[in-house]
Amino acid sequence: MDDVLVTGLGALSPLGAGVDAFWRGMHKADTAPARVPDPLAHMDRPLMYLVPEADVPDGPEEQDGLPLGRGSRFALAAAREAVADAGLTAPLEPSALPEAYAAGGGLDPRRVAVALSTGMGDTDLHEGWWTGGEPPASGRWAPAFPLASVVGGWFGAQGVNTCVSNACAASGYALSVGADLIRSGEADVVIAGGAEAYSRVALACFNRLGAIDPERCRPFAADRQGTVFGEGAAVLVLESAAHARARGARTVYGRLAGAGWSCDAHHATAPEPSGEQIERAMRGALREAGAGPESGSGSGPGELGFVIPHGTGTELNDVVESRVLGGLTPRTPLYSVKALIGHTGGAAGAFAALAASLVLHHGTLPPNVPVGELDPECAVPLPSGSTPLTGAYGLVNAYAFGGNNVSLVFGEAAA
Amino acid sequence: MSDEPAVGLVVTGIGTVGAEGFDFRTALGRHGYKYLPAASQYFLAAAKRALAQAGPDALEPVGPEERGAAVGTNSAAVALHHTMDRTVTATGAGDLSPVTAPYFSINLFGSRLATEHDLKGFNLTFTSPRVAGLEALQNGLRALAAGRARRLLAGATEEALPEGEPGADTSEAGAVALVLEPGPAARSRGATALGRVGVRSFFLPPKVAASAEGAERAAALLRDALDALGHRPDRPLAVTAVLDGSPVGEAVAAALDGKAPGEGALGERALDGRALGGNALGGRVLADRPERVPAGAGALEPVARVAAALAAPDGHPHAVITAAAEGNAAVCLITPGDASAIPEGEQPMGVRQRAGSR
Repeated sequence: MDDVLVTGLGALSPLGAGVDAFWRGMHKADTAPARVPDPLAHMDRPLMYLVPEADVPDGPEEQDGLPLGRGSRFALAAAREAVADAGLTAPLEPSALPEAYAAGGGLDPRRVAVALSTGMGDTDLHEGWWTGGEPPASGRWAPAFPLASVVGGWFGAQGVNTCVSNACAASGYALSVGADLIRSGEADVVIAGGAEAYSRVALACFNRLGAIDPERCRPFAADRQGTVFGEGAAVLVLESAAHARARGARTVYGRLAGAGWSCDAHHATAPEPSGEQIERAMRGALREAGAGPESGSGSGPGELGFVIPHGTGTELNDVVESRVLGGLTPRTPLYSVKALIGHTGGAAGAFAALAASLVLHHGTLPPNVPVGELDPECAVPLPSGSTPLTGAYGLVNAYAFGGNNVSLVFGEAAA
Repeated sequence: MSDEPAVGLVVTGIGTVGAEGFDFRTALGRHGYKYLPAASQYFLAAAKRALAQAGPDALEPVGPEERGAAVGTNSAAVALHHTMDRTVTATGAGDLSPVTAPYFSINLFGSRLATEHDLKGFNLTFTSPRVAGLEALQNGLRALAAGRARRLLAGATEEALPEGEPGADTSEAGAVALVLEPGPAARSRGATALGRVGVRSFFLPPKVAASAEGAERAAALLRDALDALGHRPDRPLAVTAVLDGSPVGEAVAAALDGKAPGEGALGERALDGRALGGNALGGRVLADRPERVPAGAGALEPVARVAAALAAPDGHPHAVITAAAEGNAAVCLITPGDASAIPEGEQPMGVRQRAGSR
């Protein structure tokens, strides 16, 4: 089976614009949420980790007649960087026929897919219309989830173009679907990831559910009181090894080596307490990758070097995930992306995948943002200092309302 | 895990629900459904009907971890979000209903299905403009071919857009659900195979659609999709096209029509099957003139047309084609009867390549 490689990265996050800013921010490990600048955010805890105002793209306002919200603009910004990083030429010339590209050794747009995710999409745009803003005079239907379409339209991709919206597991699924598209022979290149932007409705509902921490996002901490949302976009260029080799891709950050899916089928918002299904997803991903406890050897080439947990800071999620990780891979260090940039919802899995790719590429696990004293029921190793990577694989978990679970395993680029 | 093959999937149950006259008490039961948003009720009711047609034992041969679900929607949550936002901005988040608050998340509209029917393989939600319902089928089928489950419940659900929202005049409200299982499994329990479905989606960039080559590019992409779905050009094909009047919709319509975009109003055109068979789609012969259906503001109508084609087969393969102004497009090929009767060479590519690979 052809390997699925990560050949390009892009990010727009609370740490600023670009992957370099993200990697620097991971090492600085010093962030805090802020009050959302929305006078209509009538809620007790209007807190988020926001993209810095200076880094918020000031456009485009629309594309091909479709008005764009903050989510689409975030996705475009991260996709542009990922595509450029991969060394792909974009946008493709609209009038050129795909056969001409293919015959000339270039990228065949029919073989380029887009698989992006979001939980709220461009809902901010609609919220603006509902509170005094004016929708476009054209009256054209403005679907709330056009992010993948917008990126596909910008790039000129003609392959599968899909928006996955499995809440906080969505971008893990988008990446897995992207890998499936390559492995099934439907695509050579997939622009995959997720984007999430401030939505008043989403933040208000989490407030109503009592699930927002008043201070910061502090997964696994004894004093945690819920999560804190974050916003931004993370995009990875996934590419078949054969295609990357043929075009001489300049950087391979790692491989998407395994994926495992499951569903709790238990409750709308609460995780299933035994963790049976999240364990099944983890084991499935590790088995497919030949890594960790599913590799057949406890150490060596298949050793798991780190875990990027789902760990949101909510009471039960962190306990259940800790318990399963403690049984499955007890000594493997964890790196919490959410402690750094908050819970980015439909982009959370993509940010975790971005972080995993960077860790594997640089061979260093950055320090965790201090979360305070750990919950005794969450006995997970959260290193506070930067450490050299000791294993060739990283496990990424992403879970969601509705009991949707996905685990991904990323491996070092083959030598 | 069962060792039955995950290829040769057939549809054995179809459930459709319209919003007009819908009563959750009658459709679902008096208790436990009152506070679910309408689109969630619609989808549960559609799935219940689909499972009733498939038979009470449709899911039983496999364990919960071998059952998957996928739903597509564009507008299930918009009206609810609108109501919630009015509450938040007027009196504050404290006045939101804690029962409906989780439904800010679009994936919850399909999640109750997993709880009710013990679907632990996967439960996916897709939201791509207009094609999301067909994508639910496509991704569900791909996941089964990859060994992630062996039974699939898939479909689409929508709720009407609030008044004043762009597109509200073409809102969709209702749901469609399909039950899919391997043909041999259906035969062994005496279930009727209503047909098989395969979906290929693609993207026609709006700039390409609006260019002079738009119809030509649309035709090429449609041709590729039908080829990938295993349709043999010499088998007569019925076509239903769910399209809007955008440049993308115009380009696809023109491809089916064999005309360049802009040559007369779409609604006034009599689509000529022979034109389609001549150049646009690789010499395919049409069973009849393509049926043109106006697209709504949602992902429901294309899946409803698939359900209709399955429910009333005319003996020919049937292609339901749809596209959105944003560029998303998809083809669903419906083939009457039992998949196991389909020669190997005519099975969809993705299925052929992935069978037994996990």
